[in-house]
Amino acid sequence: MRRFECSVCGYIYDEAVGLPEKGLAPGTKWEDLPEDFVCPLCSAPKTVFKPLGETAAPQPAIKRNNPVVNGDRAHGDIRDLSAGEIAAICSSLAKGCEKQRLIEEMEAYSALADYFKTKGMAQGVTLADTAVMLNEDIAKGFAAAKAAAQADGDRGALRSLIWSEKVSIMLQSLLDRFANEGDDMLSNTKIFVCDICGFIMLGGAAPEICPVCKVPQYKIVEIERR
Amino acid sequence: MPAYRNVRLCGKDCMCLYVCPTGATNTENSIIDTAKCIPGCMACVNACPSGAISMIPDEYPPQQPKSPEVVTEQRALGRSKVQQEEIAAAVAATTDSAVTRQFAEALAKSNLRMAEDILRESGYLLPQSAEARELLTAMLENTAPDFPTDAVERLLNQLHKTPDQN
Ligand code: SF4
Ligand code: SF4
Ligand SMILES: [Zn+2]
Ligand SMILES: [Zn+2]
Repeated sequence: MRRFECSVCGYIYDEAVGLPEKGLAPGTKWEDLPEDFVCPLCSAPKTVFKPLGETAAPQPAIKRNNPVVNGDRAHGDIRDLSAGEIAAICSSLAKGCEKQRLIEEMEAYSALADYFKTKGMAQGVTLADTAVMLNEDIAKGFAAAKAAAQADGDRGALRSLIWSEKVSIMLQSLLDRFANEGDDMLSNTKIFVCDICGFIMLGGAAPEICPVCKVPQYKIVEIERR
Repeated sequence: MPAYRNVRLCGKDCMCLYVCPTGATNTENSIIDTAKCIPGCMACVNACPSGAISMIPDEYPPQQPKSPEVVTEQRALGRSKVQQEEIAAAVAATTDSAVTRQFAEALAKSNLRMAEDILRESGYLLPQSAEARELLTAMLENTAPDFPTDAVERLLNQLHKTPDQN
């Protein structure tokens, strides 16, 4: 009997135990699970499960070809940041102000985020373009960034990478499905996004807590169809 | 250092109202009146049975410095997430399908949350840090008529500096 772990939320499918509440009797082999089996906790697909016991080969720290390494990037060189990046930094700093109850400052950072956001519209693109970039993040970007954070003992950076890697794996599986199924993927389901870590979940209701960052349900928002 | 009440945790109408020497905790909108609050008093923080009140520090310690490698990698990944957000937002704005729009909006939001978190950890942890101030200062060069210069000036004037910047 083998065990398989969901790489998004850590749920373990144990063949010996099965999943009786989903009609999978104890002893149900991994191969015999239906193709549309999803993680009962986070609804990630079968493909993101990893067999337990086999330790994953350590990822070599691949250095990314980074087109923007000029200049002293540690010091907010604005010429190195795209409008969209400045918008994301400003909206994150606005949240930092909110946590400190600096309401006017929060509004000022939000105004800057809005300004820079309007400057960054992409043209003539499809969701398949994001899938290509996402696959690159998952194949290389996270390994390189985690290696750098580990080398420096930077727990904050590492935490951000662990969360966003899990979110990315979920997004990759959804984009793969969307490429095959198109709009049918969402015909009978709602869609929820965690407002803290960005985790996306399909289903009838938001989970009690986010499977990735563990915030409670009220931080998980439904994206309406309009 | 004024007190702040987390309304979500508050069980309402109890200890802080009795212990506060100035009535700062007794407000109609549940927001502690910082003008009445005595700095460093802490009476309500200690009395609250729900752990709902905390003191907001006036000054934050300087940010932990980030290594150049961490900055480079977080920025590269943050850039990728921002670009994916922009693509998803563009698809949401242009598609004819309500379902595709819904999915693209979810993707845009998801990517923005990741980008914010990853870029925050590239050295923009605190709104009043030296890094954030340098970014704001560089923005002052922007002379576009629609640029909210007043927002930048307000931030540079109002945000207390962390102690490393004096
Ligand atoms: S810290 Fe003291 S003065 Fe301020 S609200 Fe609490 S009890 Fe009142
Ligand atoms: S003591 Fe705590 S729980 Fe009670 S009213 Fe004050 S903040 Fe709310
Ligand atoms: Zn899972
Ligand atoms: Zn989350």
